[in-house]
Amino acid sequence: MSSETQLTNEIISLMYNQSIDEHLASLRYAGIIQQALMPDSEHLDALFRDHFVFFLPRDIVSGDFYYALRYRHYICVAAGDCTGHGVPGALLSIMGISFLNEIMQARCEPRANRVLNFMREKVMKALHQTGEKSEAKDSIDIGLCVFDTESRKLQYSGANRPLLRIRNGEVSEFKPDKMSIGLAPVHEHPFTNVIMDTRAGDSFYLYTDGFSDQFGELTDKKFKHNQLKKVIASVSDLPMSRQGEILEDTFYDWKGNTAQIDDVLVLGFRI
Amino acid sequence: MMRLTAFRIRNFRSITDTGWQSLSPDNITCLIGQNESGKTSILEALKVFYTGVISEDVLRSDLSLPEVSCRFSIPEGWLLSITDNPRPELRELLAGLDSLELTRAWIADLSSVVKVSGAVSQYLDSLEDAWKIYLGDVTLRLEEEMDNIDVLEASLENISRQESLLGSQLPSRDPAKKPFAFLSRKNGEETADAVVNPELYSELDDLRDKKDRITNELENKKLVKKAGEKWKEILDRYSMYEKHMSDLFLKLEERHQKLTLLMKPFDDEDVAWKSVLHDYRKTREDRDMIKSELDRHIAFSGYLLNGFSEAESEEKVSEIIQSYKSQYNSEMLGRKYFAHCPIFEFFEDFSSLLPNRIDLHDIISGNEQVEGYKAARNFLTIARLDYSFFQQRSSRIFKQKIENINQTLTTDFQDFWQQSIGRNNKIHIQFELDHYDASAGRKSGKPYLEFWIKDEGERLYPKQRSRGVRWFLSFYLELKASANINREMVLLVDEPGVSLHARAQEDVLKVFEDIRERIQVVYTTHSPHLVEINKLHRVLAIQRDDIDSMRSSTKVLDPLQLSSATPDTLSPLQSILGNPLPVEGASPGKFNLIVNDNGTFYLISAILHLTGSGNSISVIPSTGVSSIPLLCNILMGWGLDFLVLLFRNDMEEDIVELLPETVYKPGSNGKESIIVMPENFHNSEDLLSTLDFKNHILKTREGITVANSDYVREKEMPRNFIFSRFLSEVMDGDIRLSDFDEETNENFRLFIGKLNGHK
Repeated sequence: MSSETQLTNEIISLMYNQSIDEHLASLRYAGIIQQALMPDSEHLDALFRDHFVFFLPRDIVSGDFYYALRYRHYICVAAGDCTGHGVPGALLSIMGISFLNEIMQARCEPRANRVLNFMREKVMKALHQTGEKSEAKDSIDIGLCVFDTESRKLQYSGANRPLLRIRNGEVSEFKPDKMSIGLAPVHEHPFTNVIMDTRAGDSFYLYTDGFSDQFGELTDKKFKHNQLKKVIASVSDLPMSRQGEILEDTFYDWKGNTAQIDDVLVLGFRI
Repeated sequence: MMRLTAFRIRNFRSITDTGWQSLSPDNITCLIGQNESGKTSILEALKVFYTGVISEDVLRSDLSLPEVSCRFSIPEGWLLSITDNPRPELRELLAGLDSLELTRAWIADLSSVVKVSGAVSQYLDSLEDAWKIYLGDVTLRLEEEMDNIDVLEASLENISRQESLLGSQLPSRDPAKKPFAFLSRKNGEETADAVVNPELYSELDDLRDKKDRITNELENKKLVKKAGEKWKEILDRYSMYEKHMSDLFLKLEERHQKLTLLMKPFDDEDVAWKSVLHDYRKTREDRDMIKSELDRHIAFSGYLLNGFSEAESEEKVSEIIQSYKSQYNSEMLGRKYFAHCPIFEFFEDFSSLLPNRIDLHDIISGNEQVEGYKAARNFLTIARLDYSFFQQRSSRIFKQKIENINQTLTTDFQDFWQQSIGRNNKIHIQFELDHYDASAGRKSGKPYLEFWIKDEGERLYPKQRSRGVRWFLSFYLELKASANINREMVLLVDEPGVSLHARAQEDVLKVFEDIRERIQVVYTTHSPHLVEINKLHRVLAIQRDDIDSMRSSTKVLDPLQLSSATPDTLSPLQSILGNPLPVEGASPGKFNLIVNDNGTFYLISAILHLTGSGNSISVIPSTGVSSIPLLCNILMGWGLDFLVLLFRNDMEEDIVELLPETVYKPGSNGKESIIVMPENFHNSEDLLSTLDFKNHILKTREGITVANSDYVREKEMPRNFIFSRFLSEVMDGDIRLSDFDEETNENFRLFIGKLNGHK
């Protein structure tokens, strides 16, 4: 290799590395912005008696997001998972957060399912999804709750994401509608609204599929949804922060040295 | 300052009670109804509210006495400015009032008083009630005291009797033998008699003690006794007058009954009757005076009972009466406010149409029984002529003056005709003064006025001219004369359209429109040409409770109650509107729902079909929001029940305000005939959720992030077409209620609920 060629290669390598560094810096900054859009611990403290968030993005930015907002006497809380991860997922998640803010502040009497119906309209419009041509098929899976602090009733509506409730150690799973926020394969249907009474001390959990889909180092199998439910049930009488720590330990123990395959989000709150 | 807004008439000819009826806020109110329905009675009742003069023939067969109430709108605070020194509570009440109610009520001798009614009278009555309650309480106490005094006096009498009996049982004493014996008695020593008969003496002493006590007590009650005796005396006199009044009342009733049944006119020469009437009025006056005396004496007794002396009580009662008298009562205020009320002028053919000839004496003496009296009076008022004018000696000057007046009036009338009706008319008005010749017998030599209407050389008496010309000329005289009076006026016009041809009738309406800013008009008509299709809020329909019986009472229906009116009553309206459409569209058997346009018509029809509510409701599309008032008028004219469905967009929100003003009258239940959907429903398509709107109407999957109605508007979509297609699919059963999501279903329930709540 001539010295000229070598110099050229070195310059190219330097430029490449410099470019990577700049990209990483941009991404890290984007990650900070994304994190800033999600509620911080203080904000959640003000909304719930107790809570934890186990949020572990696979990359610097995440396709998973969580959301919490108090509007008049309603508290809206959600955990979403945008298709893909990394930058595309993060962009969609920011859109999702923004849509939720718009919808919640526009609707006088928020209904969980109508929030999702409307969010779907916004996503479809934003992504130009009409079902007529090959357009982006991106979508958001989300579990969303609206808690009325006056009537103490909780509404839940889910797009592929369930809700767990633990009452006196007993686990109840509220199944989501099997569709996501975005263009449906054939036809869009309305989301279902589940309304439940709450009791003091009830714990609720919203989560994405990153935890249960994680492969284990030892077994080479997915953690699975049922096992996640069991873990949550087993720690449910502990303070929420401790539950978060145990879930985090459990995740890392399970994953071992295998790669994290997706963003992970588990959000627990007690009312 | 005072504008008539509503009336209520009770016990007047065929009217039992009209209830409060609002006049049209734009100052023209039209009474329609078939013959004998009571239209003219309403005008007459309003007239006599003003004049107070009625005759027996207005009384109903049960002889209940008439009452006419009028409600006037007034500027807020105005009542306060014309009421001198009201008490603070009354001041506060008057300052806040923007309406005033006055009621004229007649009594047995057919005289009447005007009282303030409504809120003011409630307050004043409460004061009077307090005074009455006080007098009632004092009366009770006085009665009780008089009973006590009777008991005490009876006891005293009884004791005296016992004393005398005991005295007769004791040995007789000879005071001459034992003078001043008690002076020699030492302490503890008894007289010899007492020793002999101690029980009798002890009993006698007890009786004497008791007697002294009662005597003292009676002495203390002497003033009360005197007052009580006087009270009884006044009460007896008062009762006597009351009794006499009720006897006279029976006589009056008997006479009213006779005259009412026989429809016999009042006979001025009936001396016996005049004597009864005089007696009744005198007795009433005397009775009222005695009542005042009685009240005063009761109040006086109240102070005596409270321990005041006669002089103190007299002073106090004078004070309280003075303070009471200085305050207003309903009658005093009624009189005061009535002085400001508009003049009610009744324009009817007999008196108001210009006659051919009228005796000067009849005009000057105010003989209203003479044909054309009012028209002639108006004529002289306008010409500013009084009796002295006709006594002028110089016939040349006199003739010249008359000529000038004729010229001025003619020019003025032609102007009026041109301005109000927009046409030229070359007719000339003339009047002349002449005297009856020798052949006129008793009237020979007496002056009379003669009127002429000249047109293109032809000189004819008013009665020889067309009825239209005569009517307009007379109406012009009425208006012109009223302009000289600096007061508001309510003009009551009976059948202005009678025998005028259609174009002339429309001219009448033009004149009404022209004057309505300064003169309120209430008129009766049978003519469709005197009712404006787009102003049915001006209409009150008058009919009998039982349409087959002329003895049943008159009922007044406001525009929103026209569905209860009979076809005969509504005939003027149906002449202009045609008969209600059969089957399709408006339906008398169903509830009619007016909607903004055809698109909404399809959509709402589909919703009614889906929800199974369609059978009882006819949906009627307007040709746009601005046509809704007209459609309301048409349905009212047909006497059909209807509701207006309005969504929350700028145009329809304006209509919410406009409808009560232009279609319904204030105070009517107009608002109840409007369904206004909640804020988030900008148009009918917003009744569907976005998803259902896309799935079932647009057939698209595009994301829609605005209200459905905004989307349709932004995209300029053909509403009629897409909603009509939707209706077809619903009717064909391709789309069912279960196909809609919970949001749409909830909206449907909300809409149907509102509909049911209004039906």
